[in-house]
Amino acid sequence: MNKEILEGMLIDYIDGKLNAADRARIEGELAQNAEAYSAYEQLREVMNAMDKSEKFEPGSRLKASFDHLLQEEIIKNKPAKTVFFRPLLLRMAAGIVLVMAGVAIGNWINTNNKHETEIAELRKQIEETKQGMLMMIDNQQSASQRIQGVNVAMRIEKADDEVVRALAKTMNDDPNTNVRLAALEALSNFHLEPLVRKILIQSLSQQKDPIVQIALIQLMVRMKEKEAVKDLENIINDAETMKAVRDEAYSGLLKLS
Amino acid sequence: MTKTSDLTTDEQIMEAVKNGELQQAAVLFERFHKRIFNFLARMTMDRDLAEDLTQNVFLRMIKYRNSYREGNRFQSWIYQVARNVFSDHYQANKNKKSDFIAVEKMSDHMIDHEEGTQQDEREKILHRSLALLSEEQRELLILTRFQQMKYEEVAELMETTVANIKVKVHRAIAKLREHYFELEKI
Repeated sequence: MNKEILEGMLIDYIDGKLNAADRARIEGELAQNAEAYSAYEQLREVMNAMDKSEKFEPGSRLKASFDHLLQEEIIKNKPAKTVFFRPLLLRMAAGIVLVMAGVAIGNWINTNNKHETEIAELRKQIEETKQGMLMMIDNQQSASQRIQGVNVAMRIEKADDEVVRALAKTMNDDPNTNVRLAALEALSNFHLEPLVRKILIQSLSQQKDPIVQIALIQLMVRMKEKEAVKDLENIINDAETMKAVRDEAYSGLLKLS
Repeated sequence: MTKTSDLTTDEQIMEAVKNGELQQAAVLFERFHKRIFNFLARMTMDRDLAEDLTQNVFLRMIKYRNSYREGNRFQSWIYQVARNVFSDHYQANKNKKSDFIAVEKMSDHMIDHEEGTQQDEREKILHRSLALLSEEQRELLILTRFQQMKYEEVAELMETTVANIKVKVHRAIAKLREHYFELEKI
């Protein structure tokens, strides 16, 4: 296969955009051709780096100066019609009175509601972050959004069942290798949880993606998970599994048994 | 942002701005300024400059509001404005173009973490590799990978076909990979 065509197909393969026939063709090529496999790994890494690259946050100066600029434009475009207080001094006095009244009312409201509002606000924020994260993980349109969602999950200290199940589904079913791998990494943070261990072991027998398989096997070794031994044996004996995966399973088996 | 604005399309809001409801421009700013800032930050590789240019984009949006044609996708229009602001800046500063991609300096402009974690190192290599691409290739990757714009949208923006964009994006990724692994060896 010509280099450019192969690279194009590998990129679509990594993005999960190939049809079944092309996917099978590429997987065949990857199993036989070491050069193609190395190109695949490199492309995957560089695409992953782009997907994972953090977004930049503009400084607050930008919004402030835009607001200022917009007000200027609005004033320029509005012919002054009614002015209630003609003399400048009266207008300024009215302005000052209004500001003072505003501050006084604001203070009064603040002291009354501060604590309750703060606690409710915090709870709301936590729930919103979680829901936002789940929505990102579930975004079918954008692999990058899903990866960002998984990255958020990676930073949380304790995952509830809803989050764990969402990550498990992503690890097993996501069309994009990088997303699956990121979900696995996020789950590995919670490997002491019995539910997470169970999910990880189950995934070992389900995964067909060699990169994820290898990462899973390495994780089993780190977790010293003896229950994985049988699945590792199955992988070693499965002739259809890629050699690199079988080798990794063999090495994992030696370390676990 | 009011609730009604949330439910209104970008195009409807831009129409309102065109009809003199300038205050509505704030809604479009809210919706788009981060994306435009990120686009310009990656194009210029300089955050401060990107903030100035982003400001310029939204100033033009207000000043040249009458050039927005009804029925056109607002996103394409605002990105077109951003591309013009970017290229006008470098036209005006042609003699400064040599320090435009000061690769060593650039990564410091972009990343503000103090400790160099492995992720930061990779991010630096990524930025440097991007800087080595042609401007067109860099722009294509910024739009399609970092900004997740669909090939159809980019084709519309660049007035070309989807197939053409796809081939060019694939070539840009392949080129990026070469630079990335060259730099990683160093």
